[in-house]
Amino acid sequence: MTGDLLLFAFSAGLAIAFALAMVVQKTPVRSVLALVVTFFGMAVLAVMLAAPFIAAIIVIVYAGAILVLFLFVIMLLNLNEEAREKETRPVQRALGLVAALALGGLLLGVTLRAPAPPVGTPSAGPRIPLLDEIPVIGRLLFSDYLFAFEAVAVLLLAAAVGALILSKRRMD
Amino acid sequence: MSPLPGIAPMSVPPAAFLAAGTILFVIGLIGALLKRNALSIFLSIELMMNAVNLLFLTWGRMRGDASSHVIVFFVIAIAAAEAAVGLAVFVALFRARQTIEVDRVNLLKW
Repeated sequence: MTGDLLLFAFSAGLAIAFALAMVVQKTPVRSVLALVVTFFGMAVLAVMLAAPFIAAIIVIVYAGAILVLFLFVIMLLNLNEEAREKETRPVQRALGLVAALALGGLLLGVTLRAPAPPVGTPSAGPRIPLLDEIPVIGRLLFSDYLFAFEAVAVLLLAAAVGALILSKRRMD
Repeated sequence: MSPLPGIAPMSVPPAAFLAAGTILFVIGLIGALLKRNALSIFLSIELMMNAVNLLFLTWGRMRGDASSHVIVFFVIAIAAAEAAVGLAVFVALFRARQTIEVDRVNLLKW
């Protein structure tokens, strides 16, 4: 019980601290590396929410594939430092910060005050098993969500082909 | 906010997960609004997506519904596709303009 609370506080604190570091950091490479730590913290939170499979794909796909792709592009474009010649529009930036914080306060108030899911109407779908969730997810993927699954397959193919064409040197 | 009857209770109150997910979302939003490097903006958007995934998992856990995991799975798959295309766009943009600072990519602005 207290162990779980401690684990939650540690991983959530880690995720939030490194997310802040990601925003504050001026060097893109350091931003990416900070985000890797954030994603690891979020993977721990996913495990605590009885989603070990999701935690694994957060680590493998997000931290392992997407962020490495970011690193490749940063190295390719040789982006060392965010160019800091002058602040072009300070007012807009301040307003953006205020708006984001206001929206954050609003969202926090709403999510924390949201009522629990209505009692007596348990979801129609399969329940989350606390230990062995992968068979349940697999069965859902290939029954209820089969169309979405195939659509995602086509989407990934289209994205791969599109990325290839976009990054080709010459169009002709 | 307690889980439904028949669902294993959570040792950490779900509100804590909701708060953590919301805070991470807002940090990502601040990054997306304030950063000027297109790559950093993109990175912040990835953080926002993952924060929403966390909220999704929390609500799914409260309802005990395994569909939330499937939807988070789809979100991650689409994030991967989006990252591939977006980064290719940045590479093409850098070839054309020698910069990916969003302030200096203003051809369509006026």
